[in-house]
Amino acid sequence: MKKISFVLNGEKRNIYVEPNDLLLDVLREKLGVKSPKYGCGRGDCGLCTVLINGKSARTCLILAIEVDGQEILTVEGLSKDKLTPLQESFIKHNSFQCGFCAPGMIMTATELLEKNSNPTEEEVKEAISGNLCRCTGYTPIIEAILDVNKK
Amino acid sequence: MVIVHEFEYFKPESVEGVIELLLKYKDKVRILAGGTDLIVRIKDGLEFPEAVIDIKGLTELGKFEFKDNKLFIGSLVTFNDLIESKIVEEKFPLLWESSKTVASIGIRNRATIVGNICSAVPSLDTGPALLVYEANVVVRGTEGERVISVLDWFLGPRKTALEAGEFVYGITISLSEKKRGGSYVKLGRYNGEDLAQVGLGILALEGNEYRLAFCAVGPVPGRAKKIEALLSGKSLTGSLIEEAKNLVPEEISPITDVRATKEYRLHVAKIMFERGIKAAVERLDGKGPAYGEKLI
Amino acid sequence: MEEFKFIGKPVDRLDEREKVTGAAKYVDDIEFGPNLLYTEIIESPHPHALINNINTSEAEKVEGVVKIVTGKDFPYKFGLYMKDRYIFAQDRVRFIGEQVAAVIARDPKTALKAAKLVKVEYEPFSAVFDPVEALKEDAPVIHPELGNYPHVPWFFPKGGSNVAHLRKVRKGDVEKGFKEADFVLEDTYRIPRYAHCCLETHIAVGLLDYSGRLTVWASSQSPHTQRNLFADALAPLGFSHKDIRVIAPYVGGGFGGKAGVTMEIIAAALATAVKGNPVKVIWRRDQEFYNTYMRLQVMSKIKVGVKNDGIITAFEITNYWDAGPYAEYGANVVNASGLSATGPYRMPNVKIDSYCIYTNLPAAGPYRGFGYSEMLFSVESHMTRIAKAIGIDPVEFRRKNGIREGDSLTYGAPMNPNGLLEAIDKVAKEIDWGKKETLNDPDKAIGKGFAIFWKAPAMPPNVSSTAFIKFSEDGSLNVIVSGMEIGQGYLTAMAQIAAEVLTVPPEKIRIELPDTDRNPYHWQTVASHVTWANGNAVKRAALQIRDRIFEVVHEVYHYDKDTLYLEDEKVKCKLHPSFELPLKDFVIEGIQTKDGTYRGGAIVGSGSFMPEFTSAQQDPETSQGGHPNVHYTVGAAAVKIEIDKQTGKVRILKAVEALDAGKAINPMNVKHQIYGGLLQGFATALYEDMRFDENGKILNPNFTDYKIPTSLDIPDEVVPIIVEVPQPDGPYGARGIGEHPMIPAAPIIANAVEDALGVRIKSMPMTAEKIAMAILNDKKEVDDFLMIMKK
Repeated sequence: MKKISFVLNGEKRNIYVEPNDLLLDVLREKLGVKSPKYGCGRGDCGLCTVLINGKSARTCLILAIEVDGQEILTVEGLSKDKLTPLQESFIKHNSFQCGFCAPGMIMTATELLEKNSNPTEEEVKEAISGNLCRCTGYTPIIEAILDVNKK
Repeated sequence: MVIVHEFEYFKPESVEGVIELLLKYKDKVRILAGGTDLIVRIKDGLEFPEAVIDIKGLTELGKFEFKDNKLFIGSLVTFNDLIESKIVEEKFPLLWESSKTVASIGIRNRATIVGNICSAVPSLDTGPALLVYEANVVVRGTEGERVISVLDWFLGPRKTALEAGEFVYGITISLSEKKRGGSYVKLGRYNGEDLAQVGLGILALEGNEYRLAFCAVGPVPGRAKKIEALLSGKSLTGSLIEEAKNLVPEEISPITDVRATKEYRLHVAKIMFERGIKAAVERLDGKGPAYGEKLI
Repeated sequence: MEEFKFIGKPVDRLDEREKVTGAAKYVDDIEFGPNLLYTEIIESPHPHALINNINTSEAEKVEGVVKIVTGKDFPYKFGLYMKDRYIFAQDRVRFIGEQVAAVIARDPKTALKAAKLVKVEYEPFSAVFDPVEALKEDAPVIHPELGNYPHVPWFFPKGGSNVAHLRKVRKGDVEKGFKEADFVLEDTYRIPRYAHCCLETHIAVGLLDYSGRLTVWASSQSPHTQRNLFADALAPLGFSHKDIRVIAPYVGGGFGGKAGVTMEIIAAALATAVKGNPVKVIWRRDQEFYNTYMRLQVMSKIKVGVKNDGIITAFEITNYWDAGPYAEYGANVVNASGLSATGPYRMPNVKIDSYCIYTNLPAAGPYRGFGYSEMLFSVESHMTRIAKAIGIDPVEFRRKNGIREGDSLTYGAPMNPNGLLEAIDKVAKEIDWGKKETLNDPDKAIGKGFAIFWKAPAMPPNVSSTAFIKFSEDGSLNVIVSGMEIGQGYLTAMAQIAAEVLTVPPEKIRIELPDTDRNPYHWQTVASHVTWANGNAVKRAALQIRDRIFEVVHEVYHYDKDTLYLEDEKVKCKLHPSFELPLKDFVIEGIQTKDGTYRGGAIVGSGSFMPEFTSAQQDPETSQGGHPNVHYTVGAAAVKIEIDKQTGKVRILKAVEALDAGKAINPMNVKHQIYGGLLQGFATALYEDMRFDENGKILNPNFTDYKIPTSLDIPDEVVPIIVEVPQPDGPYGARGIGEHPMIPAAPIIANAVEDALGVRIKSMPMTAEKIAMAILNDKKEVDDFLMIMKK
């Protein structure tokens, strides 16, 4: 067991992990952060996506021990006080149906809008292409993201 | 879902530290950078190292600079680093274009180009670009540093020229004095991310020099020497392209698997060559489709 | 035209806030405490084998293992429509992946480690993977005891064979019909297996507490039905419904895959082996592929006769369905689609034989569309071919032959009111049907394809749905129901219905997800019937409350009840405009009278709905009689595609779909179903491609090689159209549309490919490879079927 510490949603956390513990499992089982989900375990679906030092990453392919000293942001971190304009836009557009892809999709879209506050439709599609959604056909999700900073 | 296999984890802070561990554990140790290949393989029971060396502690491996007409890509440079680099986009656009086809952003934020060539899977997207750029692989080991041409790097599926006690420090690509135009054409099953069923990287250089390399259609990615020889010194005409297309089946040995049949791969490889070489030549003159635009 | 305040409006989804904040809880998000146990299942590596011995001794020694169970511990069968499956394999296994044993341990790594140490000795024997092969004399009989299996009365299994069920429809006289025809076309189409790929894999946690009460938390479309099946299967252990509770939180996608019972019974059974400890069973993605009941494979032989003016005179179809080795649910897919295999056409002479056949591929069952997507690929491809062959425009052909209200269905009952012709006209107009588009690029081709479709809910004749409604002091409502929010927007629709009756806006309505002990009965969230059935129940409950409210107000104020109405959460009176009594003032506390006493008190309501006109009593030889389907929802769809003739790649330029929703309770959510369903259907048409090896092992149980659509794969333009011809017995005229959007996707692509290239592809998926090779080899018809890969 090794002790690691990292900043999770703005708060410094310390926990003990084994080298073979996956970050996804540690977040969900040891730290009570349930928003990243298990979808495939191979990095193909994007459900487990969080932001590590501001960059989207697949927690199912990261050993927890690798994030010692890093900073992680999940949907819970976004929702602490008010919701972000992106989250409000999703609500307005009734974007998500079953909702299982939502946390990963939201983190990816958050990263996109940080880098590029006024993406084109193509840029949005490209950015979220690693986040699978089985329900919506993507259109209401894309519309919500485009609507956030629409001038 | 969980990893059952137990291993030790090390995060050395120097090159010597890495080499020490490589020597201690020999072939029972694996290097961890992005992890997008290694972790999947450990989960699938295809790798069972006794130890894992996380090289993210060596800041020098993040070196990413263009100096003296040479691009140095350290082994911690991720695909998104490459894509976001204006230098790569402007001076090495074939590499830029290839990188954009790899997986998705969430993977590209972690996956490294060095990791890609070390995995040496037959379908690796960076293989063709590096082969036609004639990049070099900078390796560190007990003997110090040595440089291996990427043309000598791929020895077989998941086999490279790396020897015991060595690890890859970075990749260098030289800028040519000649104008260049390139294209990376990738066959996937749909528009979403896919492993290449056929990958073709083409570099057209000023003076009618052409370099081509395929991936996913043989045990290793490789240069298409016959086609290169046919085209060398000539400007492209319709009939020359047709002649070259007919050489494609001699350059590649695709297989049939769940992704595609070998007949389809052969057929599309010819189409990819035709479209790819036209685009490469147009781009050489500053025209043609923008880099990043899909040709098939 | 009635003006509604909430019905027909794009109201915000009730569950959206929870889902965008990460607050929404799915089963694996619930904390079960430090005693939660984990399982690893030992699965069969053979498609068909006897189990000779299971040795668990080494595995039991691993520290942290709590219990190891095998089939011997649970010799119990389960099944919704037929009981043909044991919880764990007993004497034999019937597909690669079948559950043979389970290790229960204190942590997942230990469970995995120990599972590898369980040794099973098998004796393989011959297996069969093709439905037509399975009918042959020399095919291995997969269920030797088939003749003894209990089943619903409308199934007809053939003991001694691999036929789990045969649905026969005989209407009119097809022989005569074919003789009358001026043109007859006969051909065969093949549709492979497909996977739901719900993003949330199946999961169930079972807990048998020390008092003997069994609770199962499951990602489920059917909590009450699951409880029923658990009670039935575990009755030998002394369980009955009152001892079993199913709790079903949000579901990360269902699409039919979480209907009935598949793996949930394992959690229920294992819980009984480790009393006092919750035990979790969850599928990895690869297990999700081969353990979820896949969409059935079908080979469809179809023969249609028409007169020169395009009128259909005879229709004959034989569908050979491959349901895998456990057909308990798959047989109903075969049954339901068998009854409707004609498609939405008026047909005087019909012969349908729909065989449900056992094979040793993994089990197959309900998938969005319930057999209609599969079967309409054949029918709608065929109809376009016939129309073209006799020189009639394919859309005109549908107009001429499309079914009208009152027409006789395959089983004799009359067709419900429907907007099929309106849907056809609107879609044809939107896609510019008849206008041939050309391209300058010789390497590209454009084509358009059209199809009509229908589906009725496939349910037993006595399914009911109920609802409770209660108020809180702030005038807000709790609607308590047992339908499942699987993403379709069901909670929101129910809130809109309650809101319309009681004038409490949807933002003041909470709808709780089911706990079968607390929420009243609802059969299953399947069949696209929930808005209709539960909507009726919710409406009845709301009306009951409204009646009660007026009763109490009348009692205190003496205003005639029929002068009272609700508006803006207040009781008002037509004759006394100044009278305004806010609901929140009295719905808990009652109304105080002049003498200081109170009337009313806490107000609650309940509603129940069960159709009383449905019957599955039909002649087993002809299917005539009875009224098995409550109503059909119809629609039309079209697509315009551009094909790269060199690579075969298809780009969807425009997709149009019109659905007759009767009354779209929430038009935004109906349109969203169209976006999602069409894309899911296009994927089956173009690139979802399940492959097995020659031994029946699935080769691509992952997203790397089973490709589901990404944001880059959506059509350039999608136009959803809502048609509204009211369903007389639906709440506000509504009927279901959840499954329907997917149904026409594959035939419209096939028809568009033919329009563009003159190539008719008769097998799915119609990949870029199939198209390119057809062009390269100058083939006009393609029937390559690659699902089983030969070496």
